[in-house]
Amino acid sequence: MTIARTPYPRLRQMTQGWVTGMTRIGTQAQFYGKTLRSIGAAFVHYKAEMVRLIAQMSMGAGALAVIGGTTVIVGFLTLSTGALVAVQGYNQFANVGVEALTGFASAYFNVRLISPVVSGIGLAATIGAGATAQLGAMRINEEIDALEVMGIRSIAYLASTRVIAGVIVVIPLYCVAVLMSFLAARFGTTAIYGQSTGVYDHYFNTFLNPTDLIWSFFQAISMATVIMLVHTYYGFTASGGPAGVGEAVGRAVRTSLISAVFVVLFLSLAIYGQSGNFHLSG
Amino acid sequence: MVAVESDVAVLEGVEREQGYSPPLGHPDGCSDEPVAKARRRAYSSSVSKPVRAVGGFVAMSLDTLVSMFRPPFAWREFLLQSWFVARVSILPTIMLAIPFTVLLIFTFNILLVEFGAADFSGTGAAYGAVTQIGPIVTVLVVAGAGATAMCADLGARTIREELDALRVMGVNPIQALVVPRVLAATFVATLLSSVVILVGLVGSFLFSVFVQHVTPGSFVGGLTTITGVADVLISIVKAALFGLSAGLIACYKGISVGGGPAGVGNAVNETVVFTFMALFAINIIATAVGVQATL
Repeated sequence: MTIARTPYPRLRQMTQGWVTGMTRIGTQAQFYGKTLRSIGAAFVHYKAEMVRLIAQMSMGAGALAVIGGTTVIVGFLTLSTGALVAVQGYNQFANVGVEALTGFASAYFNVRLISPVVSGIGLAATIGAGATAQLGAMRINEEIDALEVMGIRSIAYLASTRVIAGVIVVIPLYCVAVLMSFLAARFGTTAIYGQSTGVYDHYFNTFLNPTDLIWSFFQAISMATVIMLVHTYYGFTASGGPAGVGEAVGRAVRTSLISAVFVVLFLSLAIYGQSGNFHLSG
Repeated sequence: MVAVESDVAVLEGVEREQGYSPPLGHPDGCSDEPVAKARRRAYSSSVSKPVRAVGGFVAMSLDTLVSMFRPPFAWREFLLQSWFVARVSILPTIMLAIPFTVLLIFTFNILLVEFGAADFSGTGAAYGAVTQIGPIVTVLVVAGAGATAMCADLGARTIREELDALRVMGVNPIQALVVPRVLAATFVATLLSSVVILVGLVGSFLFSVFVQHVTPGSFVGGLTTITGVADVLISIVKAALFGLSAGLIACYKGISVGGGPAGVGNAVNETVVFTFMALFAINIIATAVGVQATL
């Protein structure tokens, strides 16, 4: 008696894994396309839900609202990195005797590098992970299926509205983030290390480039879009009970952090790659 | 309507969330009128919840610290968890370390080229990679990959009342589950920070030399100009501290979960937020101390 078995099991398994991976990329791309396409429908049909989400996202849900919500958290993160600029910049520059340039370091590194990256991290952790947790719980409780049964376009109602809300929320949020990083660097340098405020402000104002700031906003907005897309996808496709929701949140945070940093990197290369857009002599 | 439903679930979860510390009975007397009692309870829960959470966290940390030195050490669980955290973290580490360092070195080189000091880009790369990128990327990965998975796992066990079952069987969950996880996070974070630094240095070398045309010799020569052994040691200590706090926060959030799937999701979300905040705060203090120590 022979046992019926598939030929080349290992090869087959390998191909299977490869095919599954490619399929997952395909379904993700499809989901992102659908979400972006449904943005119009979300604007037409689900305005009330969108407004509710904007309010919820800027304040945060559950225990996060107790400590002041998303704004405070992102503000705190950039506050600490701004202070880091003061600590490291001042000490390193003082090593070679040019501590006056700390204001320049704040205007240059905060705008181009630190604020976009850190706000991206903050967004992924707060708004993004929150969205995955919510959507994942809805999926596990079969609420999303119920929506479909009731004839509500679930992707437009849940995913597109969240993407729009995230992009709208990120604009004031990023203002707070940038201001916090500037303030912290200035406070650390002038109040703690005792540099005169005139010197700091002079170099800061000389090297603060408004065009850079606008590009930095653009980076933040594109990052918010990518982060919200990734997080809604993982929430939408969560499975496997309570542990599955938690795992989906973790996986979403990982993926969105990586994609956010890559977005910042490629945008920086595109924006500053050719000329650098930086002039020491004014 | 759907969201309202889940919000109710969240609120229930919050009510039940104070599950870690052994219940000592509610401060309310039993003789009160029901309405006044409910109102007072709502008030006291909204005021005392954050305080209670902090207290519970401190209590669990102390318990963990004490249990670390009690004899039956869960070696098996420790090894399994270390392997687990390392496995989920290694790919995100590499994927995050490369863009971070390239971004840093790119921004830095614009500056150095303008100064006419592109030969010093190795100095900047080493300094950035060792003092900031190394610890920060480790933070992000340990919090985003390791801590979330840990919290989800512990949270699911709490929901299924497995921890209570352990207690009934006379096994201390802190000793059996929390201690090995916290130590595993610390251990793996320490190892990961060296991976990040290595990947970062190699990445910035390739990017500087092949894209921005810096001389390879001067890049390598500049590496050790201002970055010494002390900086590397501080960076590793920082990473260990990050791993420790991320592990503690994840375990606390995991064992104090309540309220079904939404509760676990929220706990993981809070784990990410609180670890990021704690880690950034630790980073600035550790950096200030480190700068004082090395200069």
